[in-house]
Amino acid sequence: MRNERARLSRRALLAGGAAAAAVASFPRVVHAQPATIRLGTLNPLTGSGGSYGPSMRKAMEWVAQEVNAAGGVLGRQVQLVSEDDQTNPEAAVRAARKLIDVDKVVAIMGTWASAVTTAVAPLCWESKTFLTTVSGSDTITQLPHQGYLIRTQPNTHLQIGKLGQFMLSLKVKRVFVLAAQTPFAAPSYLRLGEILPKGATELVGQVIYDKDKTTFRSEVDQAVRAKPDLVYLNGYQPDCTVLMKELFKAGYTGAKVAQGYAVNAKLLGSLPNEVTDGTYTATPSPSVESAGYKRLAKALGTDDLDPYSCQCHDHISLVLLAIAHAKGEATGTAIKDHVRNISQGNGVKVDNAVEGLKLLGQGKAINYEGASGPCDFTDTGDILDCKIRFEQAQGGKFKFVTLI
Amino acid sequence: MSVPLDETAQLVVNGLVAGTILAVPAIGFTAIYAVLRFPNFSLASHITIGAFAGYAANTLGGWPASAAVVAAFVVAGAAGVVNDHVVLRPLRPAGALTTAIGAVALTIVLENVVRFAFGNDLRGYALPIRRDWQLGPIRIGPQQVENLVIAVLAMAAVFAFLTFTRTGKAMRAVADDPVLAGLKGIDAERVARLTNFGAMGLAGVGGVLLGLDTTIDPLTGFRVILSVFAAAVVGGLGSIPGAVVGALTIGVAEELSLLSLAPAYRTAVGFVAILLVLTLRPRGLLGERAY
Repeated sequence: MRNERARLSRRALLAGGAAAAAVASFPRVVHAQPATIRLGTLNPLTGSGGSYGPSMRKAMEWVAQEVNAAGGVLGRQVQLVSEDDQTNPEAAVRAARKLIDVDKVVAIMGTWASAVTTAVAPLCWESKTFLTTVSGSDTITQLPHQGYLIRTQPNTHLQIGKLGQFMLSLKVKRVFVLAAQTPFAAPSYLRLGEILPKGATELVGQVIYDKDKTTFRSEVDQAVRAKPDLVYLNGYQPDCTVLMKELFKAGYTGAKVAQGYAVNAKLLGSLPNEVTDGTYTATPSPSVESAGYKRLAKALGTDDLDPYSCQCHDHISLVLLAIAHAKGEATGTAIKDHVRNISQGNGVKVDNAVEGLKLLGQGKAINYEGASGPCDFTDTGDILDCKIRFEQAQGGKFKFVTLI
Repeated sequence: MSVPLDETAQLVVNGLVAGTILAVPAIGFTAIYAVLRFPNFSLASHITIGAFAGYAANTLGGWPASAAVVAAFVVAGAAGVVNDHVVLRPLRPAGALTTAIGAVALTIVLENVVRFAFGNDLRGYALPIRRDWQLGPIRIGPQQVENLVIAVLAMAAVFAFLTFTRTGKAMRAVADDPVLAGLKGIDAERVARLTNFGAMGLAGVGGVLLGLDTTIDPLTGFRVILSVFAAAVVGGLGSIPGAVVGALTIGVAEELSLLSLAPAYRTAVGFVAILLVLTLRPRGLLGERAY
């Protein structure tokens, strides 16, 4: 028995040695089949962001397909590993751990809620994984992320600054804020407090509510008691649906403003027109006239793309172009070091990854401007500028008001 | 700090309305506890199932709210019996804790079944939204009054059933002493099935009542289950009048807390109430006698 085992082991050794020699003598064969580039998507497929996540993921899958069909990034295929963050920081952390530790992705793309991004970001910078997000809270880019984070969504300072200007243009006198408990509730209120006193508008108060409650009657009572002529609903879609109903029932007839991700076409569809008519919405505007936007809209089969799907389209494009610019080095650090070389500057303007990869292959410099906008980033990862589109609900549809 | 009387009165009214709606599923929760002796957290998904059954009856079938409530009762009740028979009954010999954990798992599975069937979008019942009535300083909505009436009728039906019918008495007997009830020839299995049907049916009615005033999505039940649990514990787990008292207490306490707390902390009130009751009066406000 012992001899038998020894003989087998000698045989195995011989076989192993022969195999090793064979591998060593064909290095080109090994190099001609490079590993795939693995990227993670982390979107809100369920929870309060659940109406956006599926489309965000589709946008990224489409880009990956296009790039793969055109030959990949320097010959390497792109593989997406998708997880659901459930619009819940705790679930998001578990999903991110899996993406980083098990799937070994080099970038995580498309986190939506600010609370989720804040929870996931430390895992990313600690593991040198690049993170791209559509969250707007100011605090996100103030994290010590060492460059491993960019966002395509304008931050609260930029967004609320423009919202304040819009409120002033409506010439309202008293503004009240009903805000869900989120990382951007307090900074939003502070920023409005800076802008509104520049005109003749007074900021008369704010209620921060727990968005998971099923009724907000007492919160609405508090708002109505302050006698506002404009209420800013700074929450998400489920709570804003209830708040709009409650404001109507309470007999409130003044103006209402909300973020476009909260008061959207789905919300208008779920409430009677008399409740929603006249409500203004503010949405960071994608670049609707750009070829990149139109191409993505066609691919996803809609003529009304939400901004997050556009931004996710740009996330994966930026990541892949950065890897190509780094001569194929697919690491979070390489993406961090190279992303600004392809997103801004004097290179040839491109609006999609396939064309950008081709130009990079020809040794040309490029400046990516995608479906969401110019995609130019500050050192801390914020975008430099973004237009905000204001619309008003009329008869169950949105009408364009102005672009600021 | 002086507290304006009008504001307090309005908060009490809001709290009573919220508490009455909470009481309906809380009765279901406590009834299952009384008869089967485990906290059945899968009530959460049955609230959701009822809400969606009512929604389907209302928007697809064009039924009015009161008929949608009946549809919700029947569908959620039937789902409750099937789910208990297939999933929870085999776990019961392993003890209350195992069954309770199984119920949590079951509720998450069922929630995702609803998500698969209806998607993640928010849905609203096809009902006109009416402006509230202003009665002096108090504001109250027609829909709230209607919900209140439905909730009170459902509770009255439960009490009448338990007091006047033979089956209701059998249920109380099993809750009081299952061994003695068995000796008297009461079929415990049948009582368990009936209890599940009635309790999950009530959960379904609660789902519709929540949805009528707000909107529904697959997480509707999950969001309220802790408040339902709090109501049942505060009133005394296993006591049906206790569930009503507990729900009203939690409803009013959560609203009145707004006088001194920011609304963001409101949810904590129910759980502070649980801690207080468990510390000072472990059997709940009304003890644990079923009825």
